[in-house]
Amino acid sequence: MIHMKIRDAACRGCRFCVDICPTDALSFDEATQKAVVETVEDCIGCLSCGFICPSGAIRHEGHHVVKNFYRNLYFSRRMEKFL
Amino acid sequence: MSDEKIRLNTDWLCDCGGCHVALVDLHEKILQVLDSVEIQHCPVLTDVKDYPPARIGILTGSVRTEHDRHAALVMREKCEIIIAFGTCAVYGGLHGAGLAHSREEIMEHVYRRSPTTKTDTIPDAEVSELAKMVTPIDEVIDVDLYLPGCPPHPHFIFESLASLIEGREPRVTQDSVCGRCKRQMIKGDAREIRNTLDEVPDERFCFLSQGHICLGSATLDRCLAPCPNHGIACTGCAGPTMQILTEPYLDIRTEVSDRMARLTAIDEDIIKTYMEKTAKTQYAYAMATKMIGNKPTFLIKKWIADVEGQINE
Repeated sequence: MIHMKIRDAACRGCRFCVDICPTDALSFDEATQKAVVETVEDCIGCLSCGFICPSGAIRHEGHHVVKNFYRNLYFSRRMEKFL
Repeated sequence: MSDEKIRLNTDWLCDCGGCHVALVDLHEKILQVLDSVEIQHCPVLTDVKDYPPARIGILTGSVRTEHDRHAALVMREKCEIIIAFGTCAVYGGLHGAGLAHSREEIMEHVYRRSPTTKTDTIPDAEVSELAKMVTPIDEVIDVDLYLPGCPPHPHFIFESLASLIEGREPRVTQDSVCGRCKRQMIKGDAREIRNTLDEVPDERFCFLSQGHICLGSATLDRCLAPCPNHGIACTGCAGPTMQILTEPYLDIRTEVSDRMARLTAIDEDIIKTYMEKTAKTQYAYAMATKMIGNKPTFLIKKWIADVEGQINE
């Protein structure tokens, strides 16, 4: 089961995630000018919204992680050391 | 926690000294730090010339001279944990842009042809020689922790020092600067790229929506976003976000131009070309590191040659 969370404080209301989602799992709340998760059941875990989000406000949990066939190994080795 | 204080060494290499000032900017909180930390070698606070053994070593700045290399090696030897502190230490920083020019060009411009001074001698005594390139410190010594930021906001400095001392995970996010910015990202109708000389952007709305280049969405938040919240577009001083560093097809200019094109009526390729022409500005803080410099999409030498070719024609 996929869980998706949008942190309201970080959402800038750009609607990129709403526009890019292939399954319309997200919608836009006009009153608060923030994106909201509408039907998380529809989420296919493509992570498009997470990558397009300018503030990194969208977090997914429980999705199937596809192994990337190219990674910047030089950096990936250092990544866990970042404070 | 034991009664014995944790010993801390800090040293600056090639940098502006701002990171050390940021340490002092902890204000009253520095008293809390001093409860459990004993500061030994620290150029802005103490007069200790040698490097006593320590548990934590903070290094700011990148390696540009023989002195820098020596200090980095000695610090590694004497300290158990080395923190690369600030953007210069992590990514090479602003002077990393020196990569675009040779050492001779830089010396010549600074000491011979400087438009604001009248000296005509290149110094050869007292100062150690300029190395060929700017090197982030992790290419010289092993680094245990990285804390980018120019300088890192005291909020993050305190959090990281406190977590180290208490032996817990730091509570930090990997949000971008946009995550802390108060401006609303609306779809605007800007048709061309503008800058602050053309107009004062509306403070309620995102810079990108108004056709101004802002690197906030491609920059890690280690600053609490003071610039965009006070009318100045983000220049990317804390270095790129994690997704830019790890994903080979993402780059600062592709990330920003993609988002800006979605928010304005400007074509994505126009923004991308503009950012390539101004690459020394857009990539100023991070170009010296291999994490950016080795990206297949990063062609700074070609972009600069293109621009200079046009100027000379």
